[in-house]
Amino acid sequence: MIQVTNLSKSFDQLQAVKKISFSINKGEVFGLLGPNGAGKSTTINMMSTILSSDEGIILIDGNDIESSPNTCKTLIGVVPQEISLYDDFTAYENLLFWGQLYKIPSKELKERIEIILELIGLSERKNDLVKTYSGGMKRRINIASAILHKPKILFMDEPTVGVDPQSRNRIFEIVENLNKEGMTIVYTTHYMEEVERLCSRIAIIDDGKIVAQGTQSELQKESNVKETIEIRFQTITSTQVEILKEAFPSLIQNNQTITVACDANKELSTIISICNTVKLQIEDLKLNKVNLETIFLKLTGKQLRD
Amino acid sequence: MIHNIFKKDLKLFFADKKGALLTFALPILLISLFAFAFGGVGGNRTAKPVQLLVVDNDFTKDSKEMLSNLEALKGVHTITKEKMAAINLVKKGKYVAVLMVEKGFQDSVALGKSLPLELKYDAAREIEMGMLQSVLMQNLMGSVGKKIINAKMEASFDTNFSGVPKNIKEKALSLMNSDQGGMNAMMGENNVGLQMTSVIKEDAKKGNLGLIQAVAGTAIMMLLFSIAGIGGGLLDEKEAGTLKRLLYSPVKPTDVLFGKMLAALVISMLQLTIMFVFSWMVFGLPIFKDVTSLILMIITTAFAVSSFGIFLVSIAKSRQQLQGYSTIIIMLMSAIGGSMIPLFVMPEIMQQIAVVSVNYWGIQGFYDIFWRSLPLTEILPKMGVLIAIGLGMTLISIRLFKKNVLKMI
Repeated sequence: MIQVTNLSKSFDQLQAVKKISFSINKGEVFGLLGPNGAGKSTTINMMSTILSSDEGIILIDGNDIESSPNTCKTLIGVVPQEISLYDDFTAYENLLFWGQLYKIPSKELKERIEIILELIGLSERKNDLVKTYSGGMKRRINIASAILHKPKILFMDEPTVGVDPQSRNRIFEIVENLNKEGMTIVYTTHYMEEVERLCSRIAIIDDGKIVAQGTQSELQKESNVKETIEIRFQTITSTQVEILKEAFPSLIQNNQTITVACDANKELSTIISICNTVKLQIEDLKLNKVNLETIFLKLTGKQLRD
Repeated sequence: MIHNIFKKDLKLFFADKKGALLTFALPILLISLFAFAFGGVGGNRTAKPVQLLVVDNDFTKDSKEMLSNLEALKGVHTITKEKMAAINLVKKGKYVAVLMVEKGFQDSVALGKSLPLELKYDAAREIEMGMLQSVLMQNLMGSVGKKIINAKMEASFDTNFSGVPKNIKEKALSLMNSDQGGMNAMMGENNVGLQMTSVIKEDAKKGNLGLIQAVAGTAIMMLLFSIAGIGGGLLDEKEAGTLKRLLYSPVKPTDVLFGKMLAALVISMLQLTIMFVFSWMVFGLPIFKDVTSLILMIITTAFAVSSFGIFLVSIAKSRQQLQGYSTIIIMLMSAIGGSMIPLFVMPEIMQQIAVVSVNYWGIQGFYDIFWRSLPLTEILPKMGVLIAIGLGMTLISIRLFKKNVLKMI
């Protein structure tokens, strides 16, 4: 659906995007994950035609963005990071205005607005001025404005910034519903839990480069990050540590706590059994599952929210 | 504590360099402009002579002598024209007045009669007229006044002292001539017969000059400010992100600019219309005397002003910049163009500089309609200039919009 090849963009001395390549399949939710300033928005701006690239090719459903920008514009919808609405218009007036730009016939547009307002749960507030809305409600109208023309691809640039957990869940539901209906979604965020919940494939972007891409399990494999079990004992002797190390060579001891990298599903019972054998009294046990945060840390050496 | 707050506020004030510059630069600019306009500052103080059209229908020794004396004066430069052409030029406001020397001038001088002289003038140029009238009267008194008085005295002597020998009569007249004080008094009392006529016919439908100046001048200046404000909406859209969203849709960047300009144009037309209707209702400005010209003038002025407003927005990168630029440029244009001070009270050099201002063409166009009562064909060139200004500004705005506004997204 989207093919990006060797894409680069510089602003004066700053090279924001450095020869990145990736492809997005039809019907998938593709996550672009990276810290602030990594180049996510620049990439989205280039893919959504408002920023020209210095180098590289972007194909949207087979159309070159440079030679056919208007065709591409009708194929895509963009949910910008900012709440890009007219505060002094009602939600309905905003949707009507944004829909009219796509030359949707009036009757059809009005019908679509009603359906979308229902989808985002704001039918009853449609005639209220947007300035009277909460942040989460504005975010939902922000999304609705981008899908009125039924785009094949929806770019969502950090769509949950500054919203409460309830509204965030509502936005997740909207994304999932749109995807179920067949819409391809490109989702940028620096919240790894959002990517984990929504995205089937992910590209990790850092310092303008794609560090890794694939499904979460592919990324885990590529980064070679394993989940860990952390056990704290009342006391532990060096002999007891040596016995455990024989069974789990990756074991790290820190005072009364040991950390073992392993597949918890398979090996947790073995660890507990050995601990019982050497008469170690477990005080606390914690499972550290592999997540995008740890993968990102491993791949880039940075925290995602740096 | 007060000291710290004082220091902090000064630091903040000077941190905004453009704002600080504006605080000092704008008054300096306006002071310079008004000093130049009213105080005769700049260049030598010798005023440029008033251009006076003359029509000599008598074409006699006396008429030629009088006109030649007039030309010799420092304050006046005469240009001979044919009667109708001269009157038209004054009507259009190109010249301040035409002096018509009618047939019988020399005979009237010889007989001491009132002179067949008429000064047809543009009442919109009060200051120049005052100066010209004074110079003319002095010249007439100097060149033909003595002859008229002599003729009158001789006639009076003949009537009152008939039968007096010729040598006695000549002696008496010579004595009277040598009494300069008496002569001056007689000259002062004597009316040489200069008839003053405004080329603009006084009729019930004609607007009051001051009212036209107030309405047209203020309307255009306020329009510039409000249009700069409307254009500023584009910068608000940029800051709010709606401009970005507009560009995601199948809309060309120039469509965004033209859409904004069209809105500004309609609002400008509405604003001007409301101002004129108000002036009609409250002050009696005769807005229906030439409705076609008025409508066209409103449209062309609104076009020039709205494109100027968009131009201001295109050169600014933020609201603050726009505020700074628009204050300076609009105030200057309004001062130069006659919105703040009527052009006819300004020196000629200022009147020449005025042509660079949108205000000038707008105000002069409204003068043509309400004061000079010119036909549409005579006002069309001014409308053409306003359209040209509008088109020029639009083209520059498109380039600057792409360079300044779109790049900043």
